[in-house]
Amino acid sequence: MKVIGTKITTNTSLFLFLGFLVILFSFTSEHFLSPYNITSLLTNISYSGIAAIVLTLVMISRGLDISIGGVIGLTTVVVSALYSQSDPLPIWLILTIGLGVGAVVGLINGWCITVLDMDPIITTLGAMAITRGLAYVISDSQSILMFEDTTDFISNGVIFNIPIPIILFMLTALIFSIVLHKSKFGRSIYAIGANEVSASLSGISVNKTKMILYVFTGIAASVSGIILLGQTSVGMPQHGIGAELEVITAVLLGGTALSGGKGTIYGTIAGVLILGVLFNGLTISGVRYVHLQIFQGLLLLVAVATYEIRTRNEVAR
Amino acid sequence: MKPTLLKMSNIFKSYPGVKAVNDVSIDLYAGEVLGLMGENGAGKSTLIKLLAGAEILDSGEIYIEENKVNIDSPSVAQENGIGVIHQELITMDTLSVAENIFVGQLPINKKTRLIDWKSAHKKSSEVLSLLNSNIDPKSTVGTLSIYEKQIVEVAKAIHKNTKILIMDEPTAALSEKDSKSLFEVIDRLSKQGVGIIYISHRIEEVFNITDRITVMRDGKLIGTKLTKGAKQKEIISMMIGRDLNEFFPEIKSEKKEVMLKVTNLNIDGIIENINFEVKKGEIVGLFGLVGSGCLNIARSLIGIDEIDQGEIYINGKETSIKNPKNAMQNKIGFIPIDRKHEGLTLDFSVKHNLSLQSLERLGSGFLVQESIENSMAEKWVKKLEIKTPNIDVQVKNLSGGNQQKIVLGKTLETNPEILIVIEPTRGVDVGAKMDIYKMLEKLCKEGVAIVLVSTDVPEILSISHRVLVVSTGKIRKEFAKGEANQQELLYEASLN
Repeated sequence: MKVIGTKITTNTSLFLFLGFLVILFSFTSEHFLSPYNITSLLTNISYSGIAAIVLTLVMISRGLDISIGGVIGLTTVVVSALYSQSDPLPIWLILTIGLGVGAVVGLINGWCITVLDMDPIITTLGAMAITRGLAYVISDSQSILMFEDTTDFISNGVIFNIPIPIILFMLTALIFSIVLHKSKFGRSIYAIGANEVSASLSGISVNKTKMILYVFTGIAASVSGIILLGQTSVGMPQHGIGAELEVITAVLLGGTALSGGKGTIYGTIAGVLILGVLFNGLTISGVRYVHLQIFQGLLLLVAVATYEIRTRNEVAR
Repeated sequence: MKPTLLKMSNIFKSYPGVKAVNDVSIDLYAGEVLGLMGENGAGKSTLIKLLAGAEILDSGEIYIEENKVNIDSPSVAQENGIGVIHQELITMDTLSVAENIFVGQLPINKKTRLIDWKSAHKKSSEVLSLLNSNIDPKSTVGTLSIYEKQIVEVAKAIHKNTKILIMDEPTAALSEKDSKSLFEVIDRLSKQGVGIIYISHRIEEVFNITDRITVMRDGKLIGTKLTKGAKQKEIISMMIGRDLNEFFPEIKSEKKEVMLKVTNLNIDGIIENINFEVKKGEIVGLFGLVGSGCLNIARSLIGIDEIDQGEIYINGKETSIKNPKNAMQNKIGFIPIDRKHEGLTLDFSVKHNLSLQSLERLGSGFLVQESIENSMAEKWVKKLEIKTPNIDVQVKNLSGGNQQKIVLGKTLETNPEILIVIEPTRGVDVGAKMDIYKMLEKLCKEGVAIVLVSTDVPEILSISHRVLVVSTGKIRKEFAKGEANQQELLYEASLN
């Protein structure tokens, strides 16, 4: 898109907008730029940011996963339920099973979408309902308290003064950035999203690639769930409600096209940050929590509506 | 002196990095069929897009019947009597013929305010009979043949009182018989005063049905000649800017061992008992009318169509080809029939397309090594003389001929020993055609076994060492090079 006669890429315009928001909120609230708030802000976005990074790959391949929220809820319930047993399994095993929840859901999603050729939206919508339902059933609609050191460390601990969730987010972003933008696997993801038939004729294992992506997304959702569990110390079937909307908004805002073939990790990071700053800034400036969802919806619409303008003339990577 | 229907004056249109239309002026008289020829990069498609309202010109004027018009949208173009039949048909296959013809303008019953289907069907039949067609207006377009779909598009254009009809490669997907029917329709229309701009790479066709021929090259107008009295060689020279000594290169066959052998190939209801072999360095042509089974034979060798019975032997060893990846692993390369949807990833750059089938070779590990990819791309751009500003532009911005070269380069990068080539020069300009033939010749010399599926009769007769005629799923006859002429080939192909 052109601004004042020079071409600015999508990502740059996003970070400019982010900068604008930061400046705006630093004026509306004296606490916005405090170290405590910044840390809190970044920690909060890490939770959905991890899922957003991985979802970016799925969306670039022209897929979609709306079951993220359900997986989060189910994971918190499963982990806290296992831990609350009278003689619980070792925590590393419990957490691994937790990740397994996401992996299994991802595997089933992937199988339906590839082998059964089912529509991704319908499939993951069903998965969302089923995982959410399972969470209610397993927990008997109750909250399950969990005070445990490892999960507490993961969610609230720090390394070199940086909260671990933020480190996990940065690691995820780094790893998947390399995978998506620099690896052969990443190239095939773009190819599948841009033209699945051509990709298949070029010898790319389309189904296998898609399956892997859905499994990754499931695992990422579980990771988010575990972080949330540690932050709140309670497993609830209601955890993660609305997460899919938040995550998808961030990815779309970051320039990933619903139609596949386009998108960057850099952009998703910007999208996640913009959403996080917006919510944090609004909250700190006194906007009530209930109004935030309206802003989220608006932002989603704006992201999609301006997509064409923002990304004109850009070459798919 | 016939009235001037259309006059385009000093038209300019540029895209980033490309001057697509560079000071072009053309005119069209009522009742005239004007051939528009030129290599695809010449600017014809862009010129048409400007007339159709799909793009807006940078500068210049367009006059319709002496009135200056500003065509800034397809509806404006339509209001001014311009109708376009695109190369890729835009019929709405799930709707009926009448709904397609009257799209957006279905007749409304004034009293009930509901759609007047009776009137729609009646008017559709009237228009269709003008085109000598009796297609049922109620039938679903998706069930029609390509020719019938084209007639529906023509009907759509003319019922709106189109005065200027633009047809882009209309016979590309038509059989000989249907092409003749289309020419009759064009003749009728021109007698009614409709001006037709006819774009085609098929020189013989253009010489048969046009009154004048306008040639473009590299965005510029080269000249306009009266068809009567013009010479094919002259027009071709104008198109490619160089003298053409021989249209088809003499591809010599180096008799060697059998590379590909197919026995008793069967796909239920489609092909039956197909047997043939291809030696190294040989080009075997498969010729058949639309629906004959040629395509299916080729696609089964690529792994797209599943065979029910039969064996495929590669270098003597029995092989099963279950999917395109299998084919690649067995050193079978291919040019699929539809480059836009099967051969290329249009949003990807030139280099990303060229390397897509060879990702494993872009570096030893997990990551892509840009330097290897860049040199791979440069290599093919040079070898195939692909005309592109650089290797990073999106292939959708390139001409059809250059796009086809990229499809070829992509598969050749995998070093195939067998090459299945389907309609390699469809929608490809003369210059690129020559380059592709030159490459096929080179591949022959290197011992590649080539299967050529083509409905371009002169092409298949001149390039193949042997031609197998396929009809209703069976191989009917084999001709060695020079043994058959066009009529014989078509005759055998139409037999049951």
